[in-house]
Amino acid sequence: MLLTTVVLVLREMLEAALIVSVLLAWSVLHVRSRRWIGAALAAGIAGAAVYAVNAATVSEWFDYVGMEVVNAAMQFAVCAVLLALAARPTARAATWPMLIAVALAVVREGFEILLYLSGFIADRGAWSTVALGSALGAGIGISAGALLFYLVVGLPRARALRLAQVLIALFAGNMAAQGVLLLIQADWIPGGVQVWNTGDVLAEDSVLGQLLYALVGYEATPSIWQVTAYVAMFCLLFGLFLRRSTPADGDGSGR
Amino acid sequence: MRTVLVILGSLCCATAALAGPPEVQLEIRDHLFFPAELVVPANTKVRLLVINADPTAEEFESYELNREKIIPGGRKAVIFIGPLAPGEYPFFGEFFPKTAQGKVIAK
Repeated sequence: MLLTTVVLVLREMLEAALIVSVLLAWSVLHVRSRRWIGAALAAGIAGAAVYAVNAATVSEWFDYVGMEVVNAAMQFAVCAVLLALAARPTARAATWPMLIAVALAVVREGFEILLYLSGFIADRGAWSTVALGSALGAGIGISAGALLFYLVVGLPRARALRLAQVLIALFAGNMAAQGVLLLIQADWIPGGVQVWNTGDVLAEDSVLGQLLYALVGYEATPSIWQVTAYVAMFCLLFGLFLRRSTPADGDGSGR
Repeated sequence: MRTVLVILGSLCCATAALAGPPEVQLEIRDHLFFPAELVVPANTKVRLLVINADPTAEEFESYELNREKIIPGGRKAVIFIGPLAPGEYPFFGEFFPKTAQGKVIAK
């Protein structure tokens, strides 16, 4: 149970921690206040609790695929706010997209952790093990996020900005692909053909596979629509960043 | 050749979808899947109805099927899977993976 808890909490934490750290780095690179992060995390945790409490109801929406639809909507909403961020990266208003993206990431990942933990409410004997496992999983996830944060902000500014742009574009591509997969799972859109199968070379459940899943959305057997959504969103976002990169580089000369 | 077959399979499924994909039931009880081996028709989209008879939530997860879904305690949920090439596709309950193990057999 200890290992299960560590793995589960770590998997969810890692995804959220990586996006949080890159957006936090983004905000540091643009010499902007980091105070939004507290509000974003608080809103995300509150949202996750509300979602977890209503999970049973949501699950039965749309003929029992409500969770897919709601989760896909959250993924696409994150894509939309990241596009808004890329379109006007230096504007003061860019704080809002970051806040919303982080809050939604925390809702999505936090809700799974809360539902998992809720299974042990009645089982007092399991509390200490589950608490220890959660702390370990959360600790490793947050450490990975911190590592990425310092990796990005430690680079020379121009390279740091470029790396952050690539990472944000990758996250958005990943979100779009996950959203599409959820809609396929709900049978709202057709599955399409499988583009490749790299399960033998790099299994998704291996440590490297899991890490790559969290970082770049690695999928061993993706559908054509997932790949299309990923590539389209990545190119769109990165293209927007490139178009705007001159003012973005210019506004933080005080660093 | 394989791609052509897959495309043909998808087309067949698109037609079949109009009539509604066949439904297969899976139950979660005491952190176990019943049946643990789920036989489904190959190359056909299937509507998998998962009934969680436990009071605790479970997460149906399968890397091979590319599926992941939470089913709240005491509720049911639907997961569409396939069309699958003939073969075995393991799945597990991510919340209780020690006991909740199963596989889909497409043939």
